[in-house]
Amino acid sequence: MADELYLENIDEFVTDQNRVVTYKWLSYTLGVHVNQAKQMLYDYVERKRKENSGAQLHVTYLVAGNLLQNGHVCHKVAVVREDKLEAMKSKLSTIASVHVYSIQKALLKDSSPLYNTDYDIVKTNLHNCSKFSAIHCDAAVPRMPPDIPRAQTSLQGSSQRENDTGAPSAPAVNGHGPLAAKHPSQQHKGIMGMFAAKAASKPQDTNKETKAEASGVSTASSKPPTKNNIINNFFGKAAMNKLKVNPVPEQPKEEKEVVKPSVAVAEPESSPNPVVEKPGKRTESARIQQKDRKSRTKHVDRSDNEEERDPENAKRKRKRIKQLQSDSSDEEDVPPPPTPEEEKAPSPPPVPALKTELEPATMEVSAGGRKRKRKRVLKSKMFIDEEEGCMVTEKVYESESCTDSEEEFPKPKPPAAHKQPVLPMKKEPKEERKTLKKGAAPANRANKQVSIMGFFHKK
Amino acid sequence: MFSERVAPTAQGLLGPPSAEPPTFPRVPVLGYSDCSGPFRPGERSFGRQYAHVYAVRLAGMRPTLERRARGRWGNDAVLRKLSELQVGEKCCVVGTLFKAMQLQPSILQEISEEHNLVPQPPLPKYIQPSDELILEDELQRIKLEGAIDVQRLVTGTIVAVYGSEQDDGRFLVEDHCFADLPPPLPWNGPTSDRFVLLTSGLGLGSGSGEALLSTQLLVDVVTGQLGAEGEQSCAAHISRVILAGNLLSQNTQSRDTINKAKYLTKKTQAASVEAVKMLDEILLQLCTSVPVDVMPGEFDPTNYTLPQQPLHRCMLPLASPYATLHLVTNPYQANLDGVRFLGTSGQNVSDIFKYSSMDDYLEILEWTLLAGHISPTAPDTLGCYPFYKSDPFILTECPHVYFCGNAPRFQSKLLQGAEGQRVLLVTVPDFSTTQTACLVNLRDLTCQPITFSGFGAEDEDGDMEVGH
Repeated sequence: MADELYLENIDEFVTDQNRVVTYKWLSYTLGVHVNQAKQMLYDYVERKRKENSGAQLHVTYLVAGNLLQNGHVCHKVAVVREDKLEAMKSKLSTIASVHVYSIQKALLKDSSPLYNTDYDIVKTNLHNCSKFSAIHCDAAVPRMPPDIPRAQTSLQGSSQRENDTGAPSAPAVNGHGPLAAKHPSQQHKGIMGMFAAKAASKPQDTNKETKAEASGVSTASSKPPTKNNIINNFFGKAAMNKLKVNPVPEQPKEEKEVVKPSVAVAEPESSPNPVVEKPGKRTESARIQQKDRKSRTKHVDRSDNEEERDPENAKRKRKRIKQLQSDSSDEEDVPPPPTPEEEKAPSPPPVPALKTELEPATMEVSAGGRKRKRKRVLKSKMFIDEEEGCMVTEKVYESESCTDSEEEFPKPKPPAAHKQPVLPMKKEPKEERKTLKKGAAPANRANKQVSIMGFFHKK
Repeated sequence: MFSERVAPTAQGLLGPPSAEPPTFPRVPVLGYSDCSGPFRPGERSFGRQYAHVYAVRLAGMRPTLERRARGRWGNDAVLRKLSELQVGEKCCVVGTLFKAMQLQPSILQEISEEHNLVPQPPLPKYIQPSDELILEDELQRIKLEGAIDVQRLVTGTIVAVYGSEQDDGRFLVEDHCFADLPPPLPWNGPTSDRFVLLTSGLGLGSGSGEALLSTQLLVDVVTGQLGAEGEQSCAAHISRVILAGNLLSQNTQSRDTINKAKYLTKKTQAASVEAVKMLDEILLQLCTSVPVDVMPGEFDPTNYTLPQQPLHRCMLPLASPYATLHLVTNPYQANLDGVRFLGTSGQNVSDIFKYSSMDDYLEILEWTLLAGHISPTAPDTLGCYPFYKSDPFILTECPHVYFCGNAPRFQSKLLQGAEGQRVLLVTVPDFSTTQTACLVNLRDLTCQPITFSGFGAEDEDGDMEVGH
């Protein structure tokens, strides 16, 4: 008899599996109305006790009714053990309902197992938690994605928005699948475009695009697994372990000091690495950068007068020279020198290069503001923090007059190439760039003195 | 009231399964309109001084008070401003009260190094016998003495005093009055039983599992899973649930990240994250069955100053797609099925409690209604947005249900006004400590508490208040 099946089921749950069978759990498991589940439980208890009076079954009941308390009539709903049932019923002036709440083999000391069972079963059935309930509400329908008010500002791209709103409207347990899927494609497009042309305008475009893209932590969090492989290719094994840790904890943190270098991005000029890897890294770094940038300050990063593109370097070099001649301050000199220097070694450079590449984005804005000379500049310094095993980037205010590095920048401008390699060397310990190697790069770049200096003093 | 008529079917579920268990449809919403517009400042700028709040408050309430004064002390009572006072002349003055309290925490004193003061620990009450009342109007201020209860009143109340100025420069008060109940609203309530469930202080994330089962029982009763058929059909008459603040527990407010070293807290997540996830699940269960209004409270992730803005829907990804979820401001005002509700999450009442001799939350609630202002102590001791155009906390219409959340216990009272106002005052208890919620019947403006309990190791007998 199909009707008796439930009895066997309950028997199995209680006796064999030693579960706490609450009415709600039974209702979801057997797919029946809650009231039927309650009746099933009661039926089971009655029959079992009739068959075998020594049956080890403990039952809890739900009692609800009116109670006179503190001068007003209070409606009380209580879960009680079987032995206290009558006592509770006698306390109530009117009984509104009595039914079986749960059956279990062992005697319960307190009601937390009941709560846990209910919690678990509801959690696994969140999307249809009112399916077997006795009350049905017509008004409770989830809204379709476009109807959900778009509270976000225009910073986000429209496709992004659809993903964001699409996610919640999907079954409640839906993760960020669509969101993550969208992001890589968009970013890849942008990144491929970036690498394709190698034009100076590219980084700005990409950066703007990445800026425009959601700084969603959720998407970032879906990235690390895939990115790690790519990242590892760039770094040596020593740094790999350190860096692996970084992307993962980084993502959830939006406002902590973000470790940029975890994503190594090589400049087009310097690295022969496969283009495919770059988009990935650049994406993540760009995004991290953007997140970081957004979360930090909006005020102009004037100090980030760094650029990674040679054309821009050239442009600025020219500008700089002119300015030198016109006795302008050295602030603008800082940006061009740092850049080429960063392109030196594959492993360290990608890290700072990343910063330089992205910083120009903000520098775009201030590109015209080279007139500002005598101010404190906000520079990003990046160093490896050995004790924590991560690369830390700090934005530090340096005033022109007190930092040697910046004063020295204009000096190398004139063809004093020989001094170049020496100066950067000295700066290294100061800046704690332990992992940055110079290799033959400085010598090669003798003609590009400005950029060498920039490598060490940027960030 | 909730379940008297369902007693016959109480034991109906103690039997073998029946064929077709009934499903009851939720009562449809007859009418809902959110009147909390004034509590959403929209574009906010904090560049203004708070003095403007008092100026608009006085300007807004002066007409009402002058009318009351004339009604009380005669049409020929002389109304004066403080600058026009003459010694010995009996007149009536309308102004803002300021209570000079010695124990009132003052940030300037705390940070002053001259005084070398240790910051004062928070006290339950800051009143002292030596407190003084001062009346201020637009231009001047004057000390008050006489037939006015210094201990009971708080700063920021607009009051009309009748008396005369003395030689020593103080004002001797013979009588005083407040704005009294605002004009009544027409009654459009439902003709059949309809309930609104008021609850506050769910206190999720507190780390103690005591109230969790009770919260689950609450959700189950409202969604119709718990109870026999009669009770379920009654529960289907619950047309709305209002969560009046403190959905998160105070324990989630720990600011470890500020006190501890960075390396200790780098990878920890704030306690409120887990708590909000739990809240989301509970709200999802409720939203699939009943319209819910969620008000933020003192410990919820929203702004601190009153009026608190609604929780952002991005925190509740599971529940926010449902149209039945309404994230609303604190204070909250709305027309539910023709009945005007107005309430707060309790910060206003608990702040007045600290600075006044009144001990009973219901008494304080009634007093704010009679004083014509939801929260007179803002911005003095309670954080508030610097309004300058108008003060939205002034009561212009008398609500039908006036509640405050997070009270220590449940109390309710039906207040009748001289102009035909009928207000149900409800102090909604803190659910995490009392496991009690309130059911308001919209048909006849009565309120019944509903308590939930499980069983514990120490087990019953007696103290029902606390639950088990």
